[in-house]
Amino acid sequence: MRVTRRRFLGSAAAAALSGAGIYELVDQLASSPARPAAVRRPLPREQHVFDLRTVSSEGIEVLVPPLHSEVVTATIREDDLHAAQHDLEQALQRLDAEYDATPAGLGVTVAWGLPYFSERVAAQARKHLPVDARARKSVLLPSRRFPSDPSSTVLEQNDVAVLLRSDRREHIDDARKAIFDDPGLFDVTSIRRGFAGGGFEGGKSLPQKLAVAAGVPGADLIPDGAELFLGFTSTQKAGLGPRLIANHETLGFVDLRGGYFRGGTHMHLSHINEDLEAWYLNFDFDERVLTAFQPGLTNVRQGAQTVPQGPHQVASAAETARKFKQTGRFGHSASIQATSRLQQAVTGPDGTVYPKGTAIPQRADFNTLDNPFAFSSNHAVDKLSSDPSAGVHFVVFNPSGDDFERNRLAMDGVLPDGTKLEVGARSRAQGFNSVLTTTHRQNFLVPPRAHRSFPLAEL
Amino acid sequence: MRAALVGLLAGLALVVAVPASSAAAPTTCPKAWAAGWQALANKIKAPVYCPTWMPNPLDAKIGGDYQDIYSVSKKDRSYLVSFLEHGDEGSGDVHVNFRGYPGRAAIPKCKTVILSGKKTIRGVTPCFADAAGTKSARGITATVYRVNQDADQWHILLAWHHGGSLYTVSEHVITPYTYAQVVKNLDRLLAGLVVVRPEG
Repeated sequence: MRVTRRRFLGSAAAAALSGAGIYELVDQLASSPARPAAVRRPLPREQHVFDLRTVSSEGIEVLVPPLHSEVVTATIREDDLHAAQHDLEQALQRLDAEYDATPAGLGVTVAWGLPYFSERVAAQARKHLPVDARARKSVLLPSRRFPSDPSSTVLEQNDVAVLLRSDRREHIDDARKAIFDDPGLFDVTSIRRGFAGGGFEGGKSLPQKLAVAAGVPGADLIPDGAELFLGFTSTQKAGLGPRLIANHETLGFVDLRGGYFRGGTHMHLSHINEDLEAWYLNFDFDERVLTAFQPGLTNVRQGAQTVPQGPHQVASAAETARKFKQTGRFGHSASIQATSRLQQAVTGPDGTVYPKGTAIPQRADFNTLDNPFAFSSNHAVDKLSSDPSAGVHFVVFNPSGDDFERNRLAMDGVLPDGTKLEVGARSRAQGFNSVLTTTHRQNFLVPPRAHRSFPLAEL
Repeated sequence: MRAALVGLLAGLALVVAVPASSAAAPTTCPKAWAAGWQALANKIKAPVYCPTWMPNPLDAKIGGDYQDIYSVSKKDRSYLVSFLEHGDEGSGDVHVNFRGYPGRAAIPKCKTVILSGKKTIRGVTPCFADAAGTKSARGITATVYRVNQDADQWHILLAWHHGGSLYTVSEHVITPYTYAQVVKNLDRLLAGLVVVRPEG
């Protein structure tokens, strides 16, 4: 739906009265992206697989993310897990029948936290939870703070998190109600809402429009068309893991033990505040490029938003260390690529060949104006505020918790060979970290679809 | 308490004293401020730009209550004159800088220092960067710069040339003024600038 300026401003003022209401503007400010006609296909074994169409942005293939995303976290209210398993599965199957598993329909990913496995199904978990073969640890690790995290970062203890994705707000509302309201199985601890994209066809992007409507500091500085608040395209195809690469079993990082979790993955969820004014008023374009990508990247057109990050642009750990020695700083992408990209070609169990340089993590992050959440059951701990704040709900799928930790540590200058690039915890020399503040973190395990409802409870 | 009061007054003034585009700006430096700007022009032996309006609560009286930095280079006669109201208890700052570089048109270079672990990274960068369009008023066409250094860090800055010299005015983006309000303030500042020429 197109809106006039008068209507836009009127809506913005109305929405400003309510923290949650701001997201209603998404449907007024952005048309649903064109999606291929829905063809009902069998649901994939994997819950986390959500196929997106691609478009060309500045000559580079990028995925078009769903307009709306939401994560609901909860603790379990029900003691009878067999009955709960049945009831939740019924609700999920109703949603499966109602909506295509596409952005035009609905994506539902049910992920389970360590408290669930250690307190509700402890004996079964000891036997069946996959083990990371490199780290010799469970694939599901306790949440932790990283060197650039402040001591105030909340390490959460939710039993479950459900990621809902769609171009249609009402589909997400329906799913939340079906999963959390109707069966009465859970006590909701948080609701996290957000949006992405909307700028690939030119003009102002959705994050820019929403930030301006909410009046967050720095909103006017977001470049036209930016997919995310920080101004660079984050969903280029070559920078995201292909379809099944984040499965526990695909790269051979994980011992599946009995195989119950074959087709599953690990999910990390965090909320990160973004200081847009600091980013746009203290870093000129060239410095934003070297901060987001890597020092020495001199061939980027002024104002470019989609910077090639294909296998041929991947930086090795040695290269990152060498540039750090020369310049005293390192970029966000380059430091992570030492762990987030395949260091050699790998053939998956289904025969798929993943070339050297292929991205492993599948990100599903989205911008938000939550501060830090749209709803919290514990305002004091979560420091909930109704004032909008620019940030990102970071959602990423990796084969294991250890694989995620390797990437996150590399972002702080701890490279996979143990080399530590000595920078201050939130130094400007260290990628994005000086403008980001992580408020919350938790790890989850995403079972395959067949075991998505109270996994292991039936054993 | 005073800071809180000033913050409150600044906020109120923003509501009631939004720059009026239709009002004709004065054509001479305000009487109460003129002596200081004339003295500056005389000192550097080159024209300077005197504002006729300042964002609330500041005035532009050199030597007055709000003057912060007054610096003239013995080497090249470049100057920096700044006006600051520094609020505490989170009430914010109002900070406006005026610069001039007599006989010099190029954007100056600034030193940068980044602390990186035990290392100190030193570099040089343009003092004014990330050009974002131009603004025109009173025969001045100024370039808008968003990323600036030293005393202009976190400021939006307008830079223009006159008689082969570079001049700037900038304002800090900080509470109580948002980015959009700072841009409006700079528009009004630019529209009210008058040249003060050296005497004698």
